[in-house]
Amino acid sequence: MSEKILEVKDLVVQFRTDRGRITAVNGVSFDLYKGKTLGIVGESGSGKSVTALAVMRLIPNPPGEITSGQILYRGQDLLKMPMDGMRKIRGNKIAMIFQEPMTSLNPVFTIGNQIEEVIALHQDDVSSKDRRDKGIELLQMVGIPSPEKRYFEYPHQLSGGMRQRVMIAMSLACKPDILIADEPTTALDVTIQAQILELMKKLQDELGMAIIMITHDLGVVAETCDDVAVMYCGQMVEKSDLRSVFQKPLHPYTNGLLHSIPHYDSTRDKTKGRLPTIEGMVPSLFDLPPGCSFQDRCKNASEDCRGKKGNPTLKALAPGHEVSCFNPMN
Amino acid sequence: MTTQTSVENYKSADKSEYILEVKNLVKRFPIKGGILGREVASVKAVNDVTFSIKRGETLGLVGESGCGKTTLGRSILRLIEPTSGQVMFDGVDVTKLGPKEMREMRRRMQLIFQDPYASLNPRMTIGAILNEPLEIHGLFMGKGEREKRLYQLLDYVQLPKDALNKYPHEFSGGQRQRICIARALAVEPDFIVCDEPVSALDVSVQAQVINLLMDLQKELKLTYLFIAHDLKVVEFISNRVAVMYLGNVVEVANSAEIYGHCRHPYTKALFSAIPNPDPTIKKERILLEGDIPSPMNPPPGCHFNPRCWQATEECRKSYPEVSSASATHQYRCSNPIQ
Repeated sequence: MSEKILEVKDLVVQFRTDRGRITAVNGVSFDLYKGKTLGIVGESGSGKSVTALAVMRLIPNPPGEITSGQILYRGQDLLKMPMDGMRKIRGNKIAMIFQEPMTSLNPVFTIGNQIEEVIALHQDDVSSKDRRDKGIELLQMVGIPSPEKRYFEYPHQLSGGMRQRVMIAMSLACKPDILIADEPTTALDVTIQAQILELMKKLQDELGMAIIMITHDLGVVAETCDDVAVMYCGQMVEKSDLRSVFQKPLHPYTNGLLHSIPHYDSTRDKTKGRLPTIEGMVPSLFDLPPGCSFQDRCKNASEDCRGKKGNPTLKALAPGHEVSCFNPMN
Repeated sequence: MTTQTSVENYKSADKSEYILEVKNLVKRFPIKGGILGREVASVKAVNDVTFSIKRGETLGLVGESGCGKTTLGRSILRLIEPTSGQVMFDGVDVTKLGPKEMREMRRRMQLIFQDPYASLNPRMTIGAILNEPLEIHGLFMGKGEREKRLYQLLDYVQLPKDALNKYPHEFSGGQRQRICIARALAVEPDFIVCDEPVSALDVSVQAQVINLLMDLQKELKLTYLFIAHDLKVVEFISNRVAVMYLGNVVEVANSAEIYGHCRHPYTKALFSAIPNPDPTIKKERILLEGDIPSPMNPPPGCHFNPRCWQATEECRKSYPEVSSASATHQYRCSNPIQ
């Protein structure tokens, strides 16, 4: 087992709203190992992005607040760190790329300018001449053709895929240990998505960084991740290595999610059946039912799930395969 | 269901196998520039597209963003006025109809949009939203009849009756898409253009909406043009699939044929790029280099040649004509995959 570089323990993130407090992330724990990719999967509103922002301590406060838990980066608790120290880690040791490459680049600066800014902030011993060389080198590394020319262009002159490459170049400028990718390919076309995923894999091999891949696309998870955590209503409901989750999902939600994808498979029987679905909708975080949050949509739900036994917590049912469910799939 | 007298004329006129035949459709958007505002260039968003859809079938239309899928869908309904070409709907050339006749025709051709958040008026109740198309087309005029129709529509899309008095913001994304579907169904259309109807929805809700669309198709004998970039969804729902690249349909075939053995290299690359939700399968992936070229200035010859690994001199010179692999499988490529 390689080195553990990030350990998140019982993270709770709450938001104050006009209608009271909601718990967007509720007791999430996970470990991240050097050179490995952890996929966090879930539907919109499940708390994936909030978890990622919490690791970076970028939760807007107010209204948000990390109310309890620990985030240990190489044994150091990031939540106890002063803002000054945090700034040295953010962007330097832990970097993040976002879903919308259009809105996360500043339209009035050249991309070269924006890459240089990262280097200038975190590595003050690099001269301005070297910064430019380094920036061009980074653009080359992420596969941007004629980087010397592109370096002086503005974001609007680049395509979506190219902008996401620039974002990756910026996030890699300081050779981070951890890269958090929040839906990095959701806004891109499939052929461009394939390019970007391939690029991320290649750079991970070269630089040995760990990646947290946040996505709702189970296909992307299957192709890129080593471990998977499934989130539902702010909680992690299942956590294991990739194969176990995909081949033997234990939580009824994971099972439903996997079966509701129309599999692209040329050998499949072409008689068109209906897609298996998960009935109902994700409940509102304002009025979660007592017990398991998934009970109303679950085929296995029993009295235990409706609060009789309290809230389900993650338990290992097989080595390394944890699930929080009273009536798991068998 | 009640009968519509005026539109019945069209219906009985021609009962050919095809409900829609698109012939050489072109949509060119001019680009104006300079101080005089002269046309300096143009974008051929849809470039000489020909295809047809049979009654009761679903034609899937796939392609990357900017390839002209949406423009094609809208030009068929004349929400965008096509530059040239023919759109034959049940034997009538839609592009030649006057405004009044067109309105009549639109009753039979409806559209479902991608974004259920943007396509419902936030100030109108669901009742008012569903009522509007009925009012415009003068259908179900009696009060009792109208009310019965509204309930029936909600029933089609599995929404509760009390939804009529609510506003769009009270519904989730999946429910709003159901409302959009109900609105499209209100006027008893025969043909619906579904423009990325499930792209904005979560996976579990997406499956519900896909099932709903398939059930409704069976029940109401609808014909769909299903535009999407998600190839898994398209394969699932479509009888036939058309692949677009830079304004042209480059391949069209039965769903099984195209997914089993496609001929156009672009189709192959597109399918190989889909992330497979099965970690045990190690796929051979074709990574396309570069981006889609600008439609303002497409490369000479086959538009795909700069990204194609099979391209030859010939591909750089002339745009390939349509070839047939079988009666139901057409493609435009000089060096097809064998």
